[in-house]
Amino acid sequence: MNRFLKLVNFEFSRFFKLYLVLVGITVLCQMVGVIFEARRYVGRANKAIYEDLLSKSDFISQYGTMSFFRFSETLWFLGPIMLAGVTLLIYVFFIWYRDWFGKNTFSYRLLVLPTARLNIYLAKATTVLLFVLGLIALQLLLVPAEMQIIKWLVPDELRTDFSIATISNHYYLGVLFPMTIADFILIYGVGIVAVCVVFTGILFERSYRLKGIFLGILYAAVSILVFFAPILVNELILRNYFYANELFYMELGTCLLTLAGAIWIGNYLMNKKIRV
Amino acid sequence: MIEVKDVTKKFGRKTVLNGVNFTAEKGKITCLIGINGVGKTTIMKAIMALTPIDGGQILIDGEKIHKGSYEKITFIPDTITMLPQMKVHEAFMFMADFYDSWNQKRAEELLEFFRLKETDRISDLSKGNTAKVNLILGLALDVDYVLMDEPFSGIDIFSREQIADVFTSHLIEDRGVIITTHEINDIEHLIDKVVLLDNGVVLREFDTEEVRENEGKSVIDVMREVYRA
Repeated sequence: MNRFLKLVNFEFSRFFKLYLVLVGITVLCQMVGVIFEARRYVGRANKAIYEDLLSKSDFISQYGTMSFFRFSETLWFLGPIMLAGVTLLIYVFFIWYRDWFGKNTFSYRLLVLPTARLNIYLAKATTVLLFVLGLIALQLLLVPAEMQIIKWLVPDELRTDFSIATISNHYYLGVLFPMTIADFILIYGVGIVAVCVVFTGILFERSYRLKGIFLGILYAAVSILVFFAPILVNELILRNYFYANELFYMELGTCLLTLAGAIWIGNYLMNKKIRV
Repeated sequence: MIEVKDVTKKFGRKTVLNGVNFTAEKGKITCLIGINGVGKTTIMKAIMALTPIDGGQILIDGEKIHKGSYEKITFIPDTITMLPQMKVHEAFMFMADFYDSWNQKRAEELLEFFRLKETDRISDLSKGNTAKVNLILGLALDVDYVLMDEPFSGIDIFSREQIADVFTSHLIEDRGVIITTHEINDIEHLIDKVVLLDNGVVLREFDTEEVRENEGKSVIDVMREVYRA
């Protein structure tokens, strides 16, 4: 196995236990949540229909039907996703700083491994990406399961069923499950670029310390500007001159440019400027 | 041979190394001596490319350090370079995974010599035993050069003796060693070459045997002469 893959495997194992906890919380919270919400809805329907003597159609017009969308707006569904998001966001910083700070001087070892230092950078980025994709995959498994549970617990006439395609059109669920390749590239491309820009920003700080914080922030600001340049030029200067697909390809170009810039600068800093 | 040529290094406005020159040959133990803050550790880190230098050049066998160099030079800093939560055998496995020059047999030999167990968790070890594990991680690599930063600092007398014994064993023979230490007494009889540093420059570089034979002086005598001048 080459050293890059060994590094990915190593980084992956270091966070794996905590990751499993995140997976556990997501599964538990969403499964318990969907059952709880479905039963609560049915309970409320029963009360309205049998005790308050409301007709089914009146109940539906008053409370709406039960659907996956309804569940997806509750904290049961969004809570674990937000928790995982925040944890991974912290992890993007933690994956570097844990090797430098405290009693841990593992950075000494990492930087003297007989492999290109860029591999350390890429391995850390790959690990973050794997964790994100892993959680998305988990969500892809959970959503149909949750829809099925709603089907089991809520009678047909009180329920609205949606296909995965409809769900993907929903604003934030569409981010989780992009339907087209273009959306996938755009959403996850932005994610990968963001992670690499933050990584390079961290390396500025690790190389120049206090001065590096300012350099890192400046670098990140320039990267964001470059990344959004086509949209900004189109909106602010050319007043929507480009077609959507033209804008997409330009965005793809600046996305690749920002990514290449982040990796190139990161590689330079790791080889020439980094300090332990 | 490790060649440190005209190396300069600043931390902010403070010049730590101001044109440092010396060489360390294979088969010899070279000791860097100087008071705290003189830049001994910085030199070690600079050789390993763990800190950038502002000027000068460092060559290992005539070439600048590159990824392949880490199969022939190793650094043993004064802190453990493995994850504290790892067990000793896991640390060995990590080294075997990444270094072609890892010598498992030698690692086990050293483990036995230091009376440590493979199942010990690094974070549970005493300071002395942690230093020993750190030493094993460096010495079990079949490399030509070993850099050791303060291997005796904060370690009990028996552990110090054990570590000093390593210097006279086959584990060090034929390798080029650069060591920094305050405890010169422990290893004075072992070192071949001394580099005295102060104010970011090399005050004197000498061969211990030569000085002993020609001038009848010990390392400590020369240190007194140089630093009190």
